[in-house]
Amino acid sequence: MTRRSLTAAIAVLLAVLAMAVPALSLTVNEVAREVRCPTCNTPLDVSNSPAADRMKIFIADRIAKGDDKEEIIDALVVEFGRGVLATPPKSGFDLLAWIVPIVLVVGGLAAIPFVTRAWARRRADDPVPEIAPEDAARLDEELRRRDP
Amino acid sequence: MPPTPDPEEIGGDRRRLIGLIVGAVAAVLVVALLVVGLVNRGTSTTIDDALEAGSRPSAPALTLPVLVSGPGLPPVGSNASLADLKGKVVVLNLWASWCGPCKEESPVLEQLWRGNRDKGVVVLGVDIQDLSSDARAFIEEYRLTYPSLRDGTDDAKSALEATGVPETYIIDQKGRIALHIAGPVTSPAQLQGPIDQVLAEA
Repeated sequence: MTRRSLTAAIAVLLAVLAMAVPALSLTVNEVAREVRCPTCNTPLDVSNSPAADRMKIFIADRIAKGDDKEEIIDALVVEFGRGVLATPPKSGFDLLAWIVPIVLVVGGLAAIPFVTRAWARRRADDPVPEIAPEDAARLDEELRRRDP
Repeated sequence: MPPTPDPEEIGGDRRRLIGLIVGAVAAVLVVALLVVGLVNRGTSTTIDDALEAGSRPSAPALTLPVLVSGPGLPPVGSNASLADLKGKVVVLNLWASWCGPCKEESPVLEQLWRGNRDKGVVVLGVDIQDLSSDARAFIEEYRLTYPSLRDGTDDAKSALEATGVPETYIIDQKGRIALHIAGPVTSPAQLQGPIDQVLAEA
């Protein structure tokens, strides 16, 4: 069997296995991790405050009614405002919260070669300080003692 | 003749200066963000401090949707403002349906409402950090007839410098906070004295 046919066989096997595992329907935790608990400011899925418990029941009820993730999150935003979202939305002014850190990191990385080159140039341009006559004499003496 | 400065050196100095300015601005911004974050981390206590000093701070200008309407308030679903109740003594209570002490406190507040509403007193609930369906179920279960507003975004909690629920404030006829109780009101007597005192000032 050639390497190519072996790879193809493995790919087919993996695809069959993937199809054999039924996909889980929407779970409470899948929605809960997208929002935060209003009383403790932690993601809802890891919060067990009374308010968080009520919100999880609300999510479970909406899932049972057939709502999808976006619809449930939208309903929670209507209840608690946009502050309930665990991460800022990727649209409008909130998009800045995603873009700014990326711009800062990319800008920082891009600046590294320029900064290091400037440092290296400055070091190379630095004049070598004159050695004092007594230090020169001491250095000569020590070198003589080392290599007789 | 004075030596001519090296153009490359001038360019390098300018780049270094721009870099320094950009770096300094970025550092100042980061420090400012840290300071703002640290300052806003805790709850402010200006209301309690003023009350302790013997003065009455102005109640915040809150505008919130009506959950249960009452005298001087617009119908359910529309927005009501605390200013709508100026001239009345307001017993403002922050509550939530999931809060255990709120369950024990609500009959006390209902009793105060029934006993004082004809004297120009409004007991006003403000439901916070709660689902509106849960809040309505709570009002029905405990047969509460005093009006309530709903604050889903913690505006009232922040403006009133509350740390949790329940918390109760007495607001005088001039719209100033006269009393703040953090924790549950366990008997009508706890509030009746201060209410009578504020009513007598009019």
